[in-house]
Amino acid sequence: MTKDEVQGATEEEQQAQSKKGLKKQQKEAEKAAKKAEKQAKLAADQQTTEEDDFAKDQYGVPPMVQSQQKLDRALVRIQDLTPEKADQLIWLRARVHTSRAKGKQCFLVLRQQQFNVQALVAVGDRASKQMVKFAANITKESIVDVEASVRKVEQKIESCSQQDVELHVERIFVVSQAEARLPLQLDDAVRPDGEGEEEGRATVNQDTKLDNRVIDLRTTTSQAIFRLQARVCQLFRDTLTNKGFVEIQTPKIISAASEGGANVFTVSYFKTSAYLAQSPQLYKQMCICADFDKVFCVGPVFRAEDSNTHRHLTEFVGLDIEMAFNYHYHEVIESITDTMVQIFKGLRDNFQNEIQTVNKQFPSEPFKFLEPTLRLEFTEAVAMLHEAGVEMGDEEDLSTPNEKLLGRLVKEKYDTDFYVLDKYPLAVRPFYTMPDPSNPKYSNSYDMFMRGEEILSGAQRVHDPQLLTERAVHHQIDLEKIKSYIDSFRYGAPPHGGGGIGLERVCMLYLGLHNIRQTSMFPRDPKRLTP
Amino acid sequence: MSMYQNGEVDPAVKALEARQDEIMRKLYELKAAVEGLAKTVTTPDADLDLTVSSSLSSQTLSSAAFQGTTDLDSLLGKDHGALRDIVINANPAQPPLTLLVLHSLLCKRYRVLSTVHVHSSVADVPSQLLSCLGPRHEDSYARHLFQLGFTLIWKDVPKLQMKFSIQNMCPIEGEANVARFLFKLLAAYPSDPALATMVDSWVDTAFFQLAEGSAKEQAAVLRALNSALGRNPWLAGPEFSLADVACYCCVLQCGSASSAPY
Repeated sequence: MTKDEVQGATEEEQQAQSKKGLKKQQKEAEKAAKKAEKQAKLAADQQTTEEDDFAKDQYGVPPMVQSQQKLDRALVRIQDLTPEKADQLIWLRARVHTSRAKGKQCFLVLRQQQFNVQALVAVGDRASKQMVKFAANITKESIVDVEASVRKVEQKIESCSQQDVELHVERIFVVSQAEARLPLQLDDAVRPDGEGEEEGRATVNQDTKLDNRVIDLRTTTSQAIFRLQARVCQLFRDTLTNKGFVEIQTPKIISAASEGGANVFTVSYFKTSAYLAQSPQLYKQMCICADFDKVFCVGPVFRAEDSNTHRHLTEFVGLDIEMAFNYHYHEVIESITDTMVQIFKGLRDNFQNEIQTVNKQFPSEPFKFLEPTLRLEFTEAVAMLHEAGVEMGDEEDLSTPNEKLLGRLVKEKYDTDFYVLDKYPLAVRPFYTMPDPSNPKYSNSYDMFMRGEEILSGAQRVHDPQLLTERAVHHQIDLEKIKSYIDSFRYGAPPHGGGGIGLERVCMLYLGLHNIRQTSMFPRDPKRLTP
Repeated sequence: MSMYQNGEVDPAVKALEARQDEIMRKLYELKAAVEGLAKTVTTPDADLDLTVSSSLSSQTLSSAAFQGTTDLDSLLGKDHGALRDIVINANPAQPPLTLLVLHSLLCKRYRVLSTVHVHSSVADVPSQLLSCLGPRHEDSYARHLFQLGFTLIWKDVPKLQMKFSIQNMCPIEGEANVARFLFKLLAAYPSDPALATMVDSWVDTAFFQLAEGSAKEQAAVLRALNSALGRNPWLAGPEFSLADVACYCCVLQCGSASSAPY
């Protein structure tokens, strides 16, 4: 191959290349031009957009609230949004419950606890197209600050708690954004069990709810349950304080089991081990012997029972009462039952909204009671059960199904969901129970029932160390283990009695719910330790 | 009149006069007793006049009204060791006066455990309705010591209702019917069917025409009562019966007591 040839060839090649390159360049230039044009157009577009968006300061995600400034802005509660507020411009903070965009409008439902209101962002002289788009893209459960004017509506908004007004949003800022994917939908979590299946809609199973308790607790049902529970506690405290009771605090880490010992949790305690208290009874009784006269305490109680039922928890809140009485332990029964009646009345008269809210998801009959509380004797209960065809011995304890049946029989005759069963056979009660003075087979002890389920077990306690020792020996209890208990009665002890109820159980039965986990905020059972 | 002119009185007439006086005395006592009870339930701040109601009970019981022993076992079925508890649901807007009278009669006859409750369907009940069965029995802490329970529950019921044995008996409705049931625990109905019907008829008259009737009907019943009591010492003949209790209570309730023939 000669140089020329080579050259020629290269030239040719070059020519060819240059031809190709030219074409390419041309193409690229065209492309670039197109791109530039596009970019220019886009830029122009953007420019026009930015120019168009007159509302750009009226929405957005402001910097995280780090307490940069202390705004003196009055925020309105959703429950206060009534027609009287019509045409006022207000600020409020709420969660976005749902959002639904429709052309130039976006409908939001804003929620605060069990209250919600409809809000409208619509393209107009106050809101731009971009603002509507932004509002439509806010994720459910995000927290927003909204400035809006309140407007009366012509047709009631059936889906909201505030049915007579809606909000016309003028500004909307996201305070805290929720992740787009929620582990459960609030609307699904409050759907009554049967309804979901019929309409092919989802319901949420209990474990999912409990695993994501933070979201589940936001539902109207949960809000109502736990607000009602708080009131039960408050009414318990108020009523007893008015009756002259003193609230006491008892230790939860104890050295010996108070009852038997089989059902206690062991915890390591430095070089030795201790137990979690399964009842404050011993301490309540010691306070009585220490002249506090009437005491109550509200606190956690632990039971290491591996029972996975609808009504057992391993940790629950105990409401415990103990009082000295003058001559008859019925003074104690009357104090306890009256406290319960005051709680029931307080709920009946002031918590109808919450009760109705829970009923929407879990329908039940309203809780009925008598004042003063009905008191039946154990022998009567046995006779009623015999009459209903149940075979049981006179001194046999009531089985759970028999308790339920008895509850139905009592309800039918007396129309009450709450009653006391008095005078249990001595044989089925703990050793510290005072025997009946006239019939040694029976005892001065009582159970209280709500909707046929036992909520309280109590008795006059033996306050005489000698009788207590006899009873303990009769029950074959190691006297060494209960020495300190017996000793606390050696220096003069007033006759006394008491009992304890579980807060969760009372709430569950009052509301007619079927699972105690619904009335425990963060339930503990043999299979659940979190959250 | 001619007999008096002679200056001597026929002994038969004298006896008749004495008997009439006795009847009038009993009637006044009955009236006073029922008024006493009514006062405790219809007027505020009135205390239960126990002396009146107990005098009523002792009077009527000492009279020959209750012949023959009524056995609770035969009337209410066998006792299974439980208190035989009669539960009455009454609306506080219409206190059942007849049942309160019958209750005090029952208390004289049996060991009755009387309790008053307020049902949660009723918000507030005047205090005199809470004490309308008298003070608490001193033995009320031991239910098994009693023969009979009388449990009055003030409740939001359209019609008075009584429940006894829920297994074997349906609830009895209406004050008149409950009164019949309770009166049978005190005395058997007259064995003469005509007389028994008369008692029933008067009870119905009392509740339908006196308590619920128009002014015209009430006036007619008052006239009928007048003439019946003119003929006999008690409404249904020689013996005190439920008819007397029912009529008196209804006269009192319909507010025409002042124009009553008593």
